[in-house]
Amino acid sequence: MKHPDPCNHLSDYKLRHGTDGYKSLQNMFTPLNDGRIKIKLQETTRCSHCSVPQHHSSKRLYICLICQTVSCSSHLLSHARSNKGHDLAVDVERSELYCSSCVDQVYDPDLDGLLVSKQVLGSLSVAVASDGVGGCGVRSSKKRRLLADSQFLVDRREKWSYPLGLRGLNNLGSTCFMNAVLQALVHAPPLRNFWLSGQHNRDLCPRRSMGLLCLPCDLDVIFSAMFSGDRTPYSPAHLLYSWWQHSTNLATYEQQDSHEFFISLLDCIHENEGKSKCLYKDHEECQCITHRAFSGLLRSDVTCTTCGSTSTTYDPFIDISLTLDSAKGTKSRNSGEPSVNSPMMPTLSGCLDLFTRSEKLGPDQKLNCRSCGVKRESSKQMSIRRLPPLLCLHVKRFEHSLTRKASRKIDSYLQYPFRLNMSPYLSSSIIGKRFGNRVFAFDGEGEHDGSEFEIFAVVTHSGMLASGHYVTYLRLKGLWYRCDDAWINEVEEEVVRGCECYMLFYAQERVVQKAHKELSYQVISMADAFPFVDC
Amino acid sequence: MVLVESGEKENLMELVRDRLVESGWKDEMRIACREHVKKKGRKDVTVDELIRVITPKGRASVPDAVKEELLNRIQKFIQSAAL
Repeated sequence: MKHPDPCNHLSDYKLRHGTDGYKSLQNMFTPLNDGRIKIKLQETTRCSHCSVPQHHSSKRLYICLICQTVSCSSHLLSHARSNKGHDLAVDVERSELYCSSCVDQVYDPDLDGLLVSKQVLGSLSVAVASDGVGGCGVRSSKKRRLLADSQFLVDRREKWSYPLGLRGLNNLGSTCFMNAVLQALVHAPPLRNFWLSGQHNRDLCPRRSMGLLCLPCDLDVIFSAMFSGDRTPYSPAHLLYSWWQHSTNLATYEQQDSHEFFISLLDCIHENEGKSKCLYKDHEECQCITHRAFSGLLRSDVTCTTCGSTSTTYDPFIDISLTLDSAKGTKSRNSGEPSVNSPMMPTLSGCLDLFTRSEKLGPDQKLNCRSCGVKRESSKQMSIRRLPPLLCLHVKRFEHSLTRKASRKIDSYLQYPFRLNMSPYLSSSIIGKRFGNRVFAFDGEGEHDGSEFEIFAVVTHSGMLASGHYVTYLRLKGLWYRCDDAWINEVEEEVVRGCECYMLFYAQERVVQKAHKELSYQVISMADAFPFVDC
Repeated sequence: MVLVESGEKENLMELVRDRLVESGWKDEMRIACREHVKKKGRKDVTVDELIRVITPKGRASVPDAVKEELLNRIQKFIQSAAL
């Protein structure tokens, strides 16, 4: 969200006085425990006109930025009228800027910056003071850091019911695409467990100690921050910067595609994890956290339409991109025409059907048939050989037409379930159907266990192609939460069902059940779990 | 007044603030403010107007438990101060 434009009076004031007024009040800004900053004055705070004291009524008191006269809201107006240029004042209780001429609150990043640094310095000196004897080893310094982080702006709401790890993310300039994906990943149980159990500890990372770029380390910082118990919105600036350095072509303040960012981020993690830990041996599958969580196997069968012989190939996948056919909707499988009764509403199962349907490849895509010996027309059918623990389904809403050199967004609503059975899309089912369900010797049969999935996150996109907004809905302990950059609130199931989904994150049933058990143990914050005790 | 001079009022204010946050009252107020702003449009609302509109809602929705606790504290203080 953009910073609101300054009013004319504020702009004039800044031109004339710059930050002098703020600096003159600097020593009076006093951070309080609940995150507010008040102005401590020498004498008892009273309105210079009517002597209404601060404690008295519900009247707010303001201090003039130019002459430091203290007035209540009524006398502030007369002060501004009788003294030209004295429009701006600061609320004594809250350190907020107020313009008498506009009769409204105004905002200045310079003042906010000064206040934030005051708070940070204040918390640092507290943390340093409490740092007792030098700790033992690296792990305790991580605990100490967690403790210091959580002393900064302790949010009392933690006692209230929000699940651990739920925290807003500040928008750093059209970065909602990043925030949306981060929320989904932070709450993906396998990923959460990986980072929180210290399997990629930024203090022990060899790449980072060499000064190299390491996105998993930046994620380690984010996980610690999200689960610290602090509920104030977090700014993932480091990750953004690291990601920019990695994908320099995408390093702008323009809106990016959330899905593109998702793939890019997972790729970065794989690169770092795979290489530095030699997890990727030839002919074996990569065991990095990204692949362990999201990687599945797709099967592609290409059949020659002339002789019927099929060639099969297997390819790994991190996610599945589904075409949203707004025109056709769900057709009944038997006839080629849409049935009269069914409304043309696209559903997720419709998209998955489309994905696993046998498609005739065009005449310009003739492939060499081994048994015929010549290039023949063929049909291709996709199916899923192996499902990953976490399944990311991407709905292709952004259409880029090369012919028209234009892009558009497909806005149609897609109906999707919270519980998804993927067995109809498995290779065993699809291929089985083709041959009339004959018993086939599939290596590794019995894959049907592990085909039940539960949804845990939904990334939605609203608005137009270039100027839209991403929001993530998270399901924690059976309740839905809307994560809109810095703002988190609980929402009803219906809201989530009715949203325009862009990326759907499903987890295997057993993964969700395990996570449910784990979350119910976490009734205390990390800071309480690791009290600062020297070993 | 003794309540202010002894600093007890500050303590009580902080207690009330904590309780109002814990009980979710503050969040309810924030939601109410947002809704009002959405209705009027961001450009047309001033802080004073928000205060004017939301204050009655706020006063009415303070949980009884909070009021009780505060009254008890004040009573105890007055009794101890009178000794």
